[in-house]
Amino acid sequence: MQKFFTLFVRYNSYLLFIVYCCISFLFIKFQDRELLTKLRTNGIEFSAFITDKMMSYNYVLHLKEENDRLMLINTDLLSRVLNIETAALDNRNRQKILADTTLNASKFIMARVVNRKFSDRENMLLINAGRSDGIKKDMTVLTPQGLVGRVTTVSEHFAKVMPVINTDFKVSVVSDKSNSMGLLSWNGGREFIAQIENIPISSSLKLNEQFLTSDFSSFSIRGIPVGKVVSIKPDKLFYTVEIRLAVDFASLTHVLIAPLKIEPEKLEMIGENSSGETFP
Amino acid sequence: MTKKYPYYIAILFIVALVQELGLSHLTFYHVSPDIVTIFLAFISVTIGQKAGTSFGFFAGLLTGILSGNMGLNMLARTVEGFIAGFFNIPEDSHATTKQKSKRLYGAIVTAGFCANAVLVTGYNPLALSSAYRIFVLGFLESLITLILAFIITRLFLKKSLAG
Repeated sequence: MQKFFTLFVRYNSYLLFIVYCCISFLFIKFQDRELLTKLRTNGIEFSAFITDKMMSYNYVLHLKEENDRLMLINTDLLSRVLNIETAALDNRNRQKILADTTLNASKFIMARVVNRKFSDRENMLLINAGRSDGIKKDMTVLTPQGLVGRVTTVSEHFAKVMPVINTDFKVSVVSDKSNSMGLLSWNGGREFIAQIENIPISSSLKLNEQFLTSDFSSFSIRGIPVGKVVSIKPDKLFYTVEIRLAVDFASLTHVLIAPLKIEPEKLEMIGENSSGETFP
Repeated sequence: MTKKYPYYIAILFIVALVQELGLSHLTFYHVSPDIVTIFLAFISVTIGQKAGTSFGFFAGLLTGILSGNMGLNMLARTVEGFIAGFFNIPEDSHATTKQKSKRLYGAIVTAGFCANAVLVTGYNPLALSSAYRIFVLGFLESLITLILAFIITRLFLKKSLAG
């Protein structure tokens, strides 16, 4: 007994270390439990609040540059609207997309990016719109240029967004000319290049074709630009396609959040046929 | 030394906030300096391994709550405090300030490197290879943190290490 106590006293820092490690492993295992999720949400809310305040001062200091940038965006948007209107007159397909009720612009929520981390340890965006603004988990985040990501965590006034340039992000996409369908993902590397998988070798995909989100996606509304094809490499059965993303993540300041696409019946059907597979 | 605990706990809160809200944004080749590592190394070297491990655990909890990745941060910071504890200088030692500083730097590099390795095994948002993250980014992060430690030691810790 004496020996045991001597050992205990001598190695108690090791025991303490083991106890803390065990608690940490428990936290990792049960990280999706309600209590821990709530704690995390509150932490994010607090961190976003502080960052938002800090960014506000920065925002005021750079108001002139911001105005110039917005003017440029306005010009760009105006030219885009004119292009779309012209195309809509000539193209029946375009008319269908424009008539789609899911693209009702009045239902979009605008938010400011208050925190952005693109590091080896964390890769996310934080926006200043939360549950009180009608934001829900899995809503699509976009800009006039294209798809930004999807909402993963929502607190009362802020939301965390998983960007397209995250290895866990996946979305179904379709090309505008050849109608080739595939699955967009990002495998790391350059932040403006993403990959599209599962495009059969028989498809007539060409360089510079634009990819848009497809109707197959369980969270994203269709027709959001994703990027343009910059490289096509044939494999045995499928093409390996690289696209240049439409959104410049380095200069992202404002985003739009699209209304949640609720299709429980579709998800149920997919669930019945899949045996535990997750769908983008 | 125990009288200083409330003071160190308050510093821990400030350091965790500065790290998560400020320094983690200063990325250079995907890595950023880590002031929490410096603080934990200081605690472990001056107080002891047990205190370092405990402070590491709670530092992990705080940074985890702020970053949204609690368990892994807690584990990495606990390892950090524990490893830095091997560089502890007993209170009754006659080590000079220079010797203490050297031990502190050794603790920062070793503990930071080990904590980075723990984080690498659990989370890989940029899909970089593990070897690259452990050795290249781990070394780079230790180097940046060491530079920050040099500055902090010169400005704030000189007196504490001399005492």
